[in-house]
Amino acid sequence: MSWYALPTNVPWLTLAVVIPLSGALLVALTPTVARRVIKQLGVLASAITLLLVLGIIGGFQHGAGNLLQFEEARPWVPAIGISYHLGVDGLSLFLLGLNALLFLIAVLVTNSDTPRLKQFMLLLLILEAATAGILLSLDLILFYVFWEAMLVPLYFLIGVWGEGPRVYAAFKFLIYTVIGSFAMLIAILAVVAITFAQTGQPSFDWTVLVQHPASGVWQLPLNLGTIGIPQLLFLGFALAFAIKMPLFPLHTWLPAAYTAAPLPVVIVLAGLVSKLGAYGFLRFNLSLFPDAAHSLGPALAVLATAGILYGAFMALVQTDLKRLVAYASMSHLGFIGLGIFAGNLLGIEGALVQMVNHGVIIAALFLIVAMIERRTGTRDRAQLRGLGATAPLFAALFLVISLAALGLPGLNGFTGEFLIMLGAWTAFVPMAVGAGIGVILAAWYVLRFYQGSFQEAPPQPAGYGEMRIADAGVLAPLLALMIVVGVSPAFFPAAVEATVKAMPVLLR
Amino acid sequence: MTINLNGIGIDYGAILPELIVTGTAIIVLFLDLLVPARRRGWLAVVSIIGLLGAMVATIPLWGQNRAAFGDTVVADSLAAFFNVLLIVISILTVLISPRFLRALDLDYGEYYVLLLGATAGMMLLAAATSLMTIFLGIELLSISLYVLSGFARTAVRSQESAMKYLLLGGFATGFLLYGMALIYGATGSTTLRGIAAVTTALGAGASSNVLLLLGIGFLSVGLAFKASAAPFHMWTPDVYEGAPTLVTTFMSVATKSAAFAAIGRVFIATFPSIASRWYFPLALIAIFSLFIGNLVAITQDNLKRMLAYSGIAHAGYILLGILPGTAEGFSATLFYIVAYAVMNFGAFAVVTVLGAGGERTAELSYWRGLFYRRPFLATVMTIFMLSLAGIPPTVGFFAKLFVFRALVDAQIWAPLIVAVIMTIVSFYYYLRVVVVMLAAPDEAVVEREPIGISTGTVLGAAAAATIILGIFPAVVLNWATHAASLHF
Repeated sequence: MSWYALPTNVPWLTLAVVIPLSGALLVALTPTVARRVIKQLGVLASAITLLLVLGIIGGFQHGAGNLLQFEEARPWVPAIGISYHLGVDGLSLFLLGLNALLFLIAVLVTNSDTPRLKQFMLLLLILEAATAGILLSLDLILFYVFWEAMLVPLYFLIGVWGEGPRVYAAFKFLIYTVIGSFAMLIAILAVVAITFAQTGQPSFDWTVLVQHPASGVWQLPLNLGTIGIPQLLFLGFALAFAIKMPLFPLHTWLPAAYTAAPLPVVIVLAGLVSKLGAYGFLRFNLSLFPDAAHSLGPALAVLATAGILYGAFMALVQTDLKRLVAYASMSHLGFIGLGIFAGNLLGIEGALVQMVNHGVIIAALFLIVAMIERRTGTRDRAQLRGLGATAPLFAALFLVISLAALGLPGLNGFTGEFLIMLGAWTAFVPMAVGAGIGVILAAWYVLRFYQGSFQEAPPQPAGYGEMRIADAGVLAPLLALMIVVGVSPAFFPAAVEATVKAMPVLLR
Repeated sequence: MTINLNGIGIDYGAILPELIVTGTAIIVLFLDLLVPARRRGWLAVVSIIGLLGAMVATIPLWGQNRAAFGDTVVADSLAAFFNVLLIVISILTVLISPRFLRALDLDYGEYYVLLLGATAGMMLLAAATSLMTIFLGIELLSISLYVLSGFARTAVRSQESAMKYLLLGGFATGFLLYGMALIYGATGSTTLRGIAAVTTALGAGASSNVLLLLGIGFLSVGLAFKASAAPFHMWTPDVYEGAPTLVTTFMSVATKSAAFAAIGRVFIATFPSIASRWYFPLALIAIFSLFIGNLVAITQDNLKRMLAYSGIAHAGYILLGILPGTAEGFSATLFYIVAYAVMNFGAFAVVTVLGAGGERTAELSYWRGLFYRRPFLATVMTIFMLSLAGIPPTVGFFAKLFVFRALVDAQIWAPLIVAVIMTIVSFYYYLRVVVVMLAAPDEAVVEREPIGISTGTVLGAAAAATIILGIFPAVVLNWATHAASLHF
């Protein structure tokens, strides 16, 4: 079923990449001093992209026989089997929406006084095109191109516009990411070489590779034994995605990068880029190497659970609110990882649902932190109290976001976490218990954040006024999503079910 | 006594491009006497016309396999491929020359003569199928470049650079010649075809023929020197830094390309039967180049030196494509050479433009805030840096991808892993340039002389090519595959 049918002769998915790029081009041609125009161009480009993506989501036929829709395929480097192949299915559909929404918000909250606004906006729009491309690519090289293209704008956005030790943070981020990327590149080349040997036809096409799972064993040098080739390739891909997510213990770039990144960038980084790691696991690891996913899943689930607990404990002891949210994000990403590595229907559905919800929640939390910092000049938890006394609306909105973050039923955070817990319980009980502890800790640090800064008696002289309408306007779509998704918890799982059920990892 | 010339296959058509370039050099030499000093721009125009003529003469050679002059040169797709590449590099160099030469007060006609001479030598090297013509090509290009390196006659750095290049180059030539002599001694032939035939006939005996192996070893040293691959790279940073930037721009891409044409012909086409013997030393040279080039580049604060070390590193990547000894690998090498030529020429050309006021501008600190001072130069430089690092969507990415793919398909793991790790390292120093250019300018450097139409066009074209080939690599890859396949 779908709400309507879009004309099929329009390359809708290409447009989702091209529109932000065109916006970037227009920004590049705008004079540096025309700051208002630059910002308006950015808003326009990302708003049009959001409308387009909403159109695609509306036109997507749920439960139809064709899992991949809006496909576009044409040869790119035919000599070695690279093609320009785009498509969208249940795995990527809603993340595409999240992508467009978060970028619109990121552009909206970009301060017009940002130094070198033109370059900033340019990089942000290029980043949007790259992340959209990542979600849409069905050719492994095309995916890799977008994956690498995402890195460069992020590196400069953190390294040039960041705060604190920004060059260090950006560089650390770069090194981690690039190591993962190259491990993935070699794995891509190897998996294609293996399939080539089977079929006699070189192809980097995901739809081809899914049908020819790799097999065999690799003789380690020095008689150290053997390792399965699928497992080896799985690890190659996993390194790239685990670093981006990030999965414990590959997370050490995260606090530095999240803290240094300017607000628009951290929204994208935490809200979206981390999900791309999780998406990569679903699209490639679990689909191309289902056997390896089963054999390595438990080990990765342990890491995910460790990440849940580590992130939660670290969030508890932070005094800097931005770092607190950064660690909270890492903890929540652990849940998503746990759902994925559980490798069953409930877990993966829950992970998919939670990916979208977490993007919405974490973006809202970072926005709140930025708003607090702007009105008080500090992010130090110890110095903040009684903000709610003079700003009841602010307090109310923040309360809703906090409750969503700790997974209260009726708000969006609950559905995904609940499904993940169910999935994890069927797969491995101890990990589910660990995740349960993580939920409790989440309630602790989120409520302490809220109570500590908004309740209690305000300092003398009594604080600050109500929040600005513009700020409430930025939060509004996120809040609306939290409530709408929260009261109709069955919508997302139903929409992605057909795709998830067809995943090779569930068919084994 | 009469000499029968019929049997040796005189075929001027096969070497017409080389003849045209050489002829143009001679015409420019005499024209220089007639043209008044302030009209020297015409020499550049004549040079370009000659080079374009050579390009036209190259087109019919594509797809042929014409051995000529007693099997000493061949007109085949590989030669045509390199002819086009070298001519394009040469034309681009000539286009950015007049402005640079005037700025440094070096506007002498001999410059164009030497440039054309070097180009002719490189084209000959790419077409050479005998030890004699290989040597002839190398000497022709080397001697021209020795003089060009010292072309800034009043600058001590330039003189020093020319001296170093000459001395070390002479030494390398000695190795090259000695190697050739040994190979001749072992096989009794100077043509590559004859040598290959004898080597194949020797069978397993060839792998243990000390004379032959020693000869190949010495020959490799000479060629690796020209390709500035480690550990025969010592001259590169000093010469690149000291020579006029314009000369460095030309030398860094053109010499390396031509040297790899010869390396491909020698190793892949002539000695496939003893590949197991040359594989390891060549792999070692590649690994050395990757290590030394990338690691030392990190510490360089002078862009010319940094690019020199990066050039050494890229020699390593290019060599990797030779290692599998397959058509697939060699086509990856050829694609890489094109990519390297485009992006490295561009990067050096930006240094040339910025350095036209003097050589001090190659210091990285001078580039601080360039994005706000000279947005065009900074933007194209960013494109070249991203491409050199191999970040999509630039041609540098596909160059690395094709080479890595050839290695994976041939299951050559150790050099591949080194290449991957060193690529990660290289991100640091390439992106650092961009970060510096994006940083807030600390003081107002007043330096706003216009770039000039021809230089601007060259830079724009190189940047556009870097991106366009990064999005549509298929055409060039097909050409490279065709040019590489003739050997197998």
